Order: sequence, then C-alpha cells, then structure tokens
Amino acid sequence: MNRDIAPVVRTITQEQLHAYADASGDHNPIHVDPEFASGTPFGGTIAHGMLVLALIGEMMFAAYGEAWSASGKMKVRFKAPTRPGDTVTASAQLSKESGGVAEYAVQCASQTGEVLIDGRASVAVPA
Amino acid sequence: MPPARTSISALPRGHEFQAATFTLSRDRVAAYLRAVGDANGYGDSVPPLAAVALGLNALQEAISLPEGSLHTGQEVEHSALLRAGEPLTLSGRIAQRSERQGFVISVIEFEIAGAGGAAVRARTTIMVPGAPA
Repeated sequence: MNRDIAPVVRTITQEQLHAYADASGDHNPIHVDPEFASGTPFGGTIAHGMLVLALIGEMMFAAYGEAWSASGKMKVRFKAPTRPGDTVTASAQLSKESGGVAEYAVQCASQTGEVLIDGRASVAVPA
Repeated sequence: MPPARTSISALPRGHEFQAATFTLSRDRVAAYLRAVGDANGYGDSVPPLAAVALGLNALQEAISLPEGSLHTGQEVEHSALLRAGEPLTLSGRIAQRSERQGFVISVIEFEIAGAGGAAVRARTTIMVPGAPA
C-alpha cells in the first residue's frame, strides 16, 4: 500500500499568531507584541511552536484520519524559530513499516530550507 | 484574586500538578482549527495537538513561564479519540529538571484522560533562562 504523505505548505502571518494566542490562551509577548519582541534576541515576533507543529498533525490526519488521532505518536525538537512571513512546508518520509506500524521522519522547513522542526512520527496502519 | 503562579524553573523534579478538569467545546476546537488553518474534517473528535495545546494552557494557570522561556521539544502519544464536550482530566508532573549554560531545562509530563481513560500523553521540554552560572 502506498504510504506517501502529501506535504502541507502554509505561510505564517502575525494575524495567525494573534488568533492562535486567543485560541490557545498563550499570549506570551514574544508571539504577539512586536515592540517587545524587537528587543529580544529574535528581533521580532516568532510563532508558537505548537502552532507550527500543528502542520504536522494536520498532515498526518489528512493521511490517516482517526487512526492518527487514536494511535499516533510524535517526538520532535524545535530547531529554529518561525517568523511571520515564513512559508513553512511540513513533510514526512516513510522510514520503516513493520508490525502494523508505519514510522516516518517528519519535519517543518522554511522557504529557505532551514529546518524549523524535526523528529519522528508513527501510526498504526491497516494490514 | 487568582492564585499566585510559580515559575516553572522553581519546581523540583517530581513536583505533581494539581489535577485539572476541563472541557473542550466544539466552538473552542473550531477556533483552534481556524487559528492553525487546519481544514480537515474532524467531526466531533478533538485533534490530539489541540488537546495538548489547551492542556498546556490549563497547566499554565498554575505556573509562569519567565521572559525568554523556550519550548524546545515535544512528544505526544495518542491512544484513544477524544470528543468535543467530553469532560477531560489533566494530570501532570515535572519529570526532569536540569541546569545547563544558564538555563533551567524542565520536562513536563502530562496525561489527558477522557471518559474512556487516558487518551493523550505528552512530554513538553521548556528552557528557562536564569539558572545559576
């Protein structure tokens, strides 16, 4: 069975950071206060890590539906900040399939190819 | 007056958070999906990362994240579907705490259980500046 997963591509906006802050309750000024953020080592606002990680969750659900929600596993590291204006591509490469479990290397990368998030994901698959 | 919150970096390994109960309404899940731009059809199920993000928010009612804190790692394991409107219980603890290069590194381990028992387990790694040099 074909285990390829279609990537998800999305441009992150400051408006999206505000919407995510409202939805998640995480109003850390590094995400929503450009004036504050300009004085930090990041030089500007950065996206919530969980907002960017959601692209991987979206991609996996699109491929596996409720099997992902009921049996998925994911372990990632946040490698670099995502900034408003960045176009992020979430992708997955099948690394192994055995015992009814498909394992993927997953990552989010920016338009310049910088790796923002990388890690592994797995999901129980039908035989 | 809300209870005082403790900086996560001050909490020792093994610290147990008080269990919290909460419900994710359909409207709240929909707001989350709009914010992240996810147009998948989840029906009345709750995307696991929504449960994790909103669970972390529930934990943040008990802790504060000082300026400069960084979310550096995330593990999530789902074992059952959660449904919108279902009463959820979140329990968590500080699973690891270490100090390195001026940062306190804390790992929060937590579990979200629905009516059928544990459904989502997560480990969140946070680096907080300000450890003794």
